[in-house]
Amino acid sequence: MRRLLAFLLVGLALYGIYWFALNRLFDAGSYRKQVAFGSVFVPYGWAYALGILLGLVLAILLYSLAYTALANRIQGRKRSPWPLFWQGVTHLFLWILILLVYYPVVQVVAASFDPTNNLFSFRRPDTGFLLLDAKVIPYVPEPSLENYAKLVEGVVLYPYQVGLLLLGGLALLGVALIGLLRRLLTPEDWMDFWQGRLLLLLTLAVFALALTLSPRQFTGQGTEAKFLLWVRNTFLISGLTGLLAVLLTATAGYAFARFRHLPGRYPVLLFFIFVQMFPGFLALVAIYYLLSRLDLLNTFTGLVLAYSGGIISFGTWVYKGYLESISPSLEEAAMVDGATRWQVFTKILLPLSAPMFVFVFLLQFVGTYSEFVLANLVLTGVESWNVGVGLRSFTTGQFQTKWGIFAAASVLGSLPILFLFYGFQQYFVSGYTAGAVKE
Amino acid sequence: MKHPPGLKGFLLALSLLLGLLILSTGVGILGYLALEAYLAPPGWTILVLALLVLVPGAVLVGRLFPWLTDWYYFLPALSFLLAFTLYPIALTVYLAFTDYSGARSGFPDRSTETRVVAQEGPRLLLEEPVEEALRCRPCAGETVEVYAEGHRLRARILEAEGNTLVLDRIPPFQAAFVAKVNAFRFVGLRNFSFILSQASKALFPVFAWNVAFALSTVLLNALLGLILGLVLNNKALKLRNFYRTVLIISWALPGVITVQVFVALLNYNFGAINRLLGVLGIYPIPWLNDPDWAKVAILLVNLWLGFPYMMTATLGALSTIPDELYEAAKVDGATPWQALWGITLPLLEKPMVPILLSSFAFNFNNFYIIYLLTGGGPAQEGRLATAQATDILISWAYKTAFSAEGQSAYGLGAAISLLIFAITVAISLVNFRITGALREVR
Repeated sequence: MRRLLAFLLVGLALYGIYWFALNRLFDAGSYRKQVAFGSVFVPYGWAYALGILLGLVLAILLYSLAYTALANRIQGRKRSPWPLFWQGVTHLFLWILILLVYYPVVQVVAASFDPTNNLFSFRRPDTGFLLLDAKVIPYVPEPSLENYAKLVEGVVLYPYQVGLLLLGGLALLGVALIGLLRRLLTPEDWMDFWQGRLLLLLTLAVFALALTLSPRQFTGQGTEAKFLLWVRNTFLISGLTGLLAVLLTATAGYAFARFRHLPGRYPVLLFFIFVQMFPGFLALVAIYYLLSRLDLLNTFTGLVLAYSGGIISFGTWVYKGYLESISPSLEEAAMVDGATRWQVFTKILLPLSAPMFVFVFLLQFVGTYSEFVLANLVLTGVESWNVGVGLRSFTTGQFQTKWGIFAAASVLGSLPILFLFYGFQQYFVSGYTAGAVKE
Repeated sequence: MKHPPGLKGFLLALSLLLGLLILSTGVGILGYLALEAYLAPPGWTILVLALLVLVPGAVLVGRLFPWLTDWYYFLPALSFLLAFTLYPIALTVYLAFTDYSGARSGFPDRSTETRVVAQEGPRLLLEEPVEEALRCRPCAGETVEVYAEGHRLRARILEAEGNTLVLDRIPPFQAAFVAKVNAFRFVGLRNFSFILSQASKALFPVFAWNVAFALSTVLLNALLGLILGLVLNNKALKLRNFYRTVLIISWALPGVITVQVFVALLNYNFGAINRLLGVLGIYPIPWLNDPDWAKVAILLVNLWLGFPYMMTATLGALSTIPDELYEAAKVDGATPWQALWGITLPLLEKPMVPILLSSFAFNFNNFYIIYLLTGGGPAQEGRLATAQATDILISWAYKTAFSAEGQSAYGLGAAISLLIFAITVAISLVNFRITGALREVR
């Protein structure tokens, strides 16, 4: 019965998609049979592509048949060629998927090195190679860093800021080097120690740089010269939000984990969870009203305060879980010796919790880096925009002239998060999919 | 001193804490109002004053009731939750029943600014007739703001005659200007009746697309995630960790940037996507210019953004299925296909349902992909200007409140937000019910 219902539903959905495609997507009004000026059009190109694909599958089949036959003859065994064939087809499927997934990335990275905006124009290169002419493989005849140069135009750095930048760069280099060594050699204790120290140094240098840069140092004409200012703003906002998250949730998480004697601990916990159900940005009208009354519109303080509502429940929850996994015997011993709860918390638990704080900080940092709704609402002046809001000003303007600069800004703006994500991949994966796996 | 036990103790602690918070907020607001006439302080003075009362107050109460200090560990998180989550929610409920808008914002209307020629106690002499200058008829009872450099005061007009008006209080400074305050009013259910009266132009189509969008996004992403998860979970596959790391890329890039990059890539004439399709013999597709294709574009971009998450979640769930089950099935002569339908998929259901539900809740309010990719457009005939072809509820609320098309109808926006609140809470409750998250809390 259940299976029948499932079949019925799937059939209905498929028919709905078919109807939608036929009548709404490929009707004469929506899908016009005309080729855009300057673009390459290959009639029945999909048939060629399918042919190539089929050829590849055939090649894999032949290879696996030949390989198994040879191996069977030499070793005198009888093995089936099919596992090898399916393995090959799987790899083919994955590689096609990788090509599709990376296609946008490659196009943007290539465009960022192309000052002539060749990839966003009618001009058609004449190389004789179909894919290059169609600009499917990006055609960049004179790659240069001009687009990136425009983003840093007119930025004046004070000598000590250059020093901070160098310090940060060196620390980053050190972290990367140790990361590499970790892969090559067997991990040792000094690696953990120095990597931690260097990461701390890097964070401090970046944060100090973000704090000491002022809008006056960005003297370039045009909005794109403010890009690094937006990056600095984003770092400041996300960093402060992450810090606030750690500060606000640490004590509450401790209390939830250890103060089991408090009557009403459970209702308060329920309250925290229920509040989490209301995404803060849904109250955007009220937050706008509140911030306008507090004269905090267009300030970072206002934005960070507006974010604070959404970060508390999650952080508290995570920290509570972490503390519950630590045995309370050490604290009890300290309390017997006359330590107060506050001393136990600050002297024993806080040093133990550093990894958890890094985790909470990172999740909030990356989360606010991509936040757009409230940022777009609160940050109204060019000089206080963050990266997301600033890039929006490019897309609403003229793409044809600014596409290269926009691409460069996108690449630069994505790099910090890319590094953080791949550097702390385990953190992120476990953090976002928490609840999926319960040991 | 021991903590008072039971419900009584809890209520006592709670009322002490809340009393402390309410008292300090009240002192903050009163102090601000008192200072306003002399210093014209910025609004956040309220927060500073409240903090200045809260900290010594907490110390004092802690001395009186030593058992309360355990509760102070909750205080930072609790006060922020109350101030920046719960209070905005309550405020949204209130604003949904008002006509708060750009024209009725509660701020002085600078276009009615009039110079004060002379002042004697509460009596002001303006340079023009009051009714014309402040555009009010009758003027008695209207709120005005009287201000000079560094001073400002809100007051009510008691009576107005010719060029003179009488205020209900005496400004403690020499007034230079006066302007009418455009206060907003309680309008009852008018915002909701407007939404219902225009339902066929906005609410129904927007809601239908919102549900369809969230549902198909979750299904598409889960399908691709499931396929990849199953493929990459195969331990015999070479390079599986490499594939996993490489395919996760779209998760590692900030979505707010990648979505905007896709606006360029999906361009009709120049976009890289249409160039690729041209080589494949497909005519250029109006991705962002056709109401129906825009929906497809949103789903595809969201698939690109979201499948790594689903892939990772599937892999995590798959890793909990013990290998012995498959070995037992193999011994019993089951084909891989039977193992898939008989073991893997049924066992995936339990860990994946909460993930799918929370993903549905997230995508239901996925503002940024809609707003950044299509801006809710392209325009569709017979719709409100704020609710176009691809608008979902949250982007409709946003555009109603904050865009030129919506004419800054904040009250109406709050009413729409209230509807979304109700739906979101319903989804979350279903999620809690199914996952039993609340039972695990203890």
